[in-house]
Amino acid sequence: MIGIIDHGLGNLTSVAGAVAKLGHDAVITDDADKLAAADKLILPGVGAFPDGMKNLKARGLIDLLDDLVIKRRKPILGICLGFQLLGQSSQEFGDTQGLGWIDAPVTLLQPEDKTMRVPHVGWNDTAIDAECILFDGIPDGALFYFVHKYKMEDPGAGVAVATCNHGGRFTAAVQKGNIFGTQFHPEKSQQHGLTLLQNFLEKA
Amino acid sequence: MLRKRLVTVLTFNKGTLFRTKLFEPDYRYTHNFVDSWSVDEIVMLDVTRDVNADKAAFFKVVTQFAKECFVPLAVGGGIRSMDDVRTMMAAGGDKVVINSGAVEHPEFITEIANAYGSQCVVLSIDAKKSDAVDGGYEVVSHFARNGTGKSPADWAREGEELGAGEVLITSVERDGSLQGYDIPLCKLVSDAVTVPVLGLAGAGNWKHFVEGVTDGGLSAVCTQNIYHFTETSVASAKKFMEKKGIPVRL
Repeated sequence: MIGIIDHGLGNLTSVAGAVAKLGHDAVITDDADKLAAADKLILPGVGAFPDGMKNLKARGLIDLLDDLVIKRRKPILGICLGFQLLGQSSQEFGDTQGLGWIDAPVTLLQPEDKTMRVPHVGWNDTAIDAECILFDGIPDGALFYFVHKYKMEDPGAGVAVATCNHGGRFTAAVQKGNIFGTQFHPEKSQQHGLTLLQNFLEKA
Repeated sequence: MLRKRLVTVLTFNKGTLFRTKLFEPDYRYTHNFVDSWSVDEIVMLDVTRDVNADKAAFFKVVTQFAKECFVPLAVGGGIRSMDDVRTMMAAGGDKVVINSGAVEHPEFITEIANAYGSQCVVLSIDAKKSDAVDGGYEVVSHFARNGTGKSPADWAREGEELGAGEVLITSVERDGSLQGYDIPLCKLVSDAVTVPVLGLAGAGNWKHFVEGVTDGGLSAVCTQNIYHFTETSVASAKKFMEKKGIPVRL
């Protein structure tokens, strides 16, 4: 059973749809027992960072997730906002503390080339920079779908496993032990995205 | 490099897919299929005019569609409140498209951006030619029935400041015309903002997509024409765009 963490902010059903398509059972929940019982967790997200953290707190999920992910080493995949929430903090609408599992802040995308538009929306090449099971069977430079205004700063070699360029390189995917995250939306990135999700579901 | 997007726009009346011409329903094409594989993004709009109509039909269609849709889905039509936004996001929308709701209450843009982030808010602007407004176009709302006196460039800029993450510009006159995008209108809007701009209405052949990007400054070219939905046509349109030097996802 895959636990899709319900923080009340959008895009949960798309992730559940993709997991179902890949033949795995998933439950969308904020229930502590159900999340504790899940084999793996997905922290999805379309939302603003402060509301994401606020909702996790309001549902009493922060300590629970710390316990499940850090102490019990349950595999987790953060997607888009869910990925950013893994970081230290974000500048989106002020300064908000994140879950802090990945040692990097989230900052505004500011392309050097001012003709490049922000938010960064659409399909972009993703360079695979380190060995990571998420990218098994996925070619270097594969296109994934991004939609974001903020980016995670470089969390350092060995943690950043993929990068993307939009007027400057930024972190596209991370892995730190059992913690995985992608800035792009695998559930919206067609075949490569489904392969990545399958890798997480079956190999993480 | 970020690819230019080819986006399919699907309009629904009481849960039934149809297309429009000059903003009126045109039921000639009601095939219920979309190539959701080659297309880069899908926009679903509820254009039901009957205000008393049950919104559940559209919600159901979105929910069904989202289950099997592995490309981004933007959803709109009749969105007036945060409850409407939550409903559409819960149905599987990745973004919401707002138009008349933003004209009525511009701060609605900010409210959605605060909850879901700017990248979630697509400001849809319908525009008609007008001599009375600077720039030669006027923003219209409520199915193009109401004038607003605003220029599309000004409204787009205001929308961006309020938190819109993308702008969808639609020419009322070009709707269903197949004569190409209204390029000066697209250019006015894309020059006015730094967020991505999507263009809709008028695409009749592959060259129009190229013009929309190169001359109109569009980040995404949209089509509502059923002839563009079939598997081979989306792929061939993209191959054509690539040959003309436009980066696309093949």
